[in-house]
Amino acid sequence: MSPEELKRYARHFVLPEFGRAGQAQLKAAKVLVVGAGGLGSPVLLYLAAAGIGEIGIIDDDIVDISNLRRQDLYTDADIGRSKVVAAKERIQALNPHIKVNIYQQRLNIENVLELIAPYDIVADGTDNFPTRYLVNDACVLAGKINVYASIFRFEGQVAVFNYPNPDGSRGVNYRDLFPEPPDPEAVPNCAEGGVLGVLPGIIGSMQANEVIKVAAKVGEPLAGRLFLFDAAAFSTRVLKIPKNPAVQIQSLEALATYCAVPEQDYQEIDITTYQTWKVNQVPHLLVDVREPNEYEIHQMGGLLIPLGQIKEKVDQIPRDLKVVVHCKSGARSVSAIRILQNDYGFDNLWNLKGGILAWEQTIKV
Amino acid sequence: MPKLSFTPALKRFFPDIKEAQHAGNTVRELLDNLEQEYPGLNSYLRDETGALRQHINIFIDQSLIQDRIHLQDQLKEAEEVLIFQALSGG
Repeated sequence: MSPEELKRYARHFVLPEFGRAGQAQLKAAKVLVVGAGGLGSPVLLYLAAAGIGEIGIIDDDIVDISNLRRQDLYTDADIGRSKVVAAKERIQALNPHIKVNIYQQRLNIENVLELIAPYDIVADGTDNFPTRYLVNDACVLAGKINVYASIFRFEGQVAVFNYPNPDGSRGVNYRDLFPEPPDPEAVPNCAEGGVLGVLPGIIGSMQANEVIKVAAKVGEPLAGRLFLFDAAAFSTRVLKIPKNPAVQIQSLEALATYCAVPEQDYQEIDITTYQTWKVNQVPHLLVDVREPNEYEIHQMGGLLIPLGQIKEKVDQIPRDLKVVVHCKSGARSVSAIRILQNDYGFDNLWNLKGGILAWEQTIKV
Repeated sequence: MPKLSFTPALKRFFPDIKEAQHAGNTVRELLDNLEQEYPGLNSYLRDETGALRQHINIFIDQSLIQDRIHLQDQLKEAEEVLIFQALSGG
């Protein structure tokens, strides 16, 4: 360690359980952070500050203004930029003594094993079930420790999965808790259900704490246990997770369908084409399927029908006119189109590619 | 009788649900009794076959239930039944 690093990490050295040995372990550690959002923000800041030697960041998203309320890795000036590029700049500025690798892509069944291979620990801060099961199963197959955290509204969960036991076997994983993945539609995400802004800061810091403990081999990791936090009641619990003998993870094949990006079964229009429709006054109706609170903040003049009300308000959608459906980034609008096409036989719908985010980006330029 | 506890997700859909003692010798009996008091709760927690939904799980005191399908875990000695669910947000 350089003299500058010795000064930087001085407060770790004086921790008797940590010392220079613990710091050297951090410097030697390689951690992949999956998702640079709410949880990824504090995780990346604390891991970089603590001196984790090599940090990988994977995320395919761009910074949106609605992220800034909780994703404190980014600033106003980052809006519209790649998250991984902005995150790397920020944590490299915080600590120039670490190596940062970025991957602007989505984890999938084909790339996951290759991407996690160079790392010792994976910190799972993704925002969807398919990626969570993918990270879990890949960590089990590749023998990586999975430091897991998740949040929703006022609730948070933290655990350390697949931690090595003294006898060489591995500890419990996410499937010991929830054996089979749920239908993603059955459980709302933070964009639909909301999340308390400070919650990812609390839970992400706990996740970072576990990564640092595991990497430095300090303390008792949260392995075989599940931490539950309810911010509204300020109640916490730590519960033991038993091994479920029925859980067998032998390949990623079981996730092939669950994680597959479904084939495009709808028409799509990009922003440039949509602009020409507007300029040429092509008759159409724009429908916005976001929530009313999102609509209040910014909108494109569409008719507001939140995704959850699409069935009861189906009569408001014409069948004899082109209808362009949009949401924030294009995911909920596809769900709306699928419902309208499959259940009600609409054939006049176009998905606005990239949603209002893409529209604002183009308008800015 | 065990005390029923739950994480906040249930409160979202059943705002009147209370952390209180409820009768039942097995998890299944407890959930059936709860349904009387909170109609619709079971269809949130259980699928059409009666098994727990994939994103739901239940602790009896410090132990996860063993039988997600028929919900036959015994509650005779139990002090608390905690219903919680998977979270996907990040």
